[in-house]
Amino acid sequence: MEHQFTAFLYQENILWIAAFTLGGLAFALGPIAIVYLFMPLKTRQINNKALQFIECGMDPIGDSWIRYGVVFYLYALIFLAFDVDVLFLFPVAVAYNDAMFASSIRDFIEIVLFIGILSLAIVYAWIKGVFKWERKKFLRR
Amino acid sequence: MGTEKIPSSVVQFALADRLINIGRANSFWPLTFGIACCAIEMMATGCARFDMSRFGAEVFRPSARQSDVMIVAGTITKKMMPGIKTLYDQMPEPKWVMALGNCAISGGPFAFEGQYSIILGADQFLPVDVYIPGCPPRPEALLQGIIELEHLVSDWKRWKNPEAA
Repeated sequence: MEHQFTAFLYQENILWIAAFTLGGLAFALGPIAIVYLFMPLKTRQINNKALQFIECGMDPIGDSWIRYGVVFYLYALIFLAFDVDVLFLFPVAVAYNDAMFASSIRDFIEIVLFIGILSLAIVYAWIKGVFKWERKKFLRR
Repeated sequence: MGTEKIPSSVVQFALADRLINIGRANSFWPLTFGIACCAIEMMATGCARFDMSRFGAEVFRPSARQSDVMIVAGTITKKMMPGIKTLYDQMPEPKWVMALGNCAISGGPFAFEGQYSIILGADQFLPVDVYIPGCPPRPEALLQGIIELEHLVSDWKRWKNPEAA
């Protein structure tokens, strides 16, 4: 027997899934709602500084959202460039011994092209002087 | 001054509140905050010889957001006062304040004419619940103050009143 409208066959299961989803939501959100009903809704204030982030009482000097001289991200990006090379060369290395690929000039050229395009990232970084281990100068504001 | 009205919750159950208050009275979490020499006595009270933890009040919290008792332990300078106010603001409700020592009660030895740097008493800007006199108070006095605060928080008594018996 062929069922044309299978969507209507599992209505009970959908009800069960909905019931369990609602039950899970109630278990997750219920405690938050109960706590909200039972907690004191505000605290007594003198200076209205309850929301100050620092918990030592002193006013923080300046904002923590400042610009840092991040140099390491360059090395992370370079790692990524080499990593992608290696990642895609593993399957090539595994498959390349096969007779189907070994004798084919076309496959070899394809791989050279692929590595060449990927290497452009490294060449770019090289030209930019990333591989020179020098202190980066940046404007401290 | 934050004395006007103690905030309460939306739903209140008297029986549950009594039970919760007994729990609160038996586990005060004081703020780790010593501002003068009375703090030495506070440390001694927390340590093994006097052992505040017999009364459940040993969990000194380094964050105001986790504590419910502020022990103002010592001289309040005018420079320190804004910090104390901020810490009081950051404490969650319910919260209580104990003034430990004569300086925190009334300025103590600093209450003289021409004095320019000391706040004469924590109750100038904080709603103080328990005053503990002494210069500095003995650790037993701080323990007594904690027991008094327990009586203030809950009608549950740690010991029966010997005079009533």
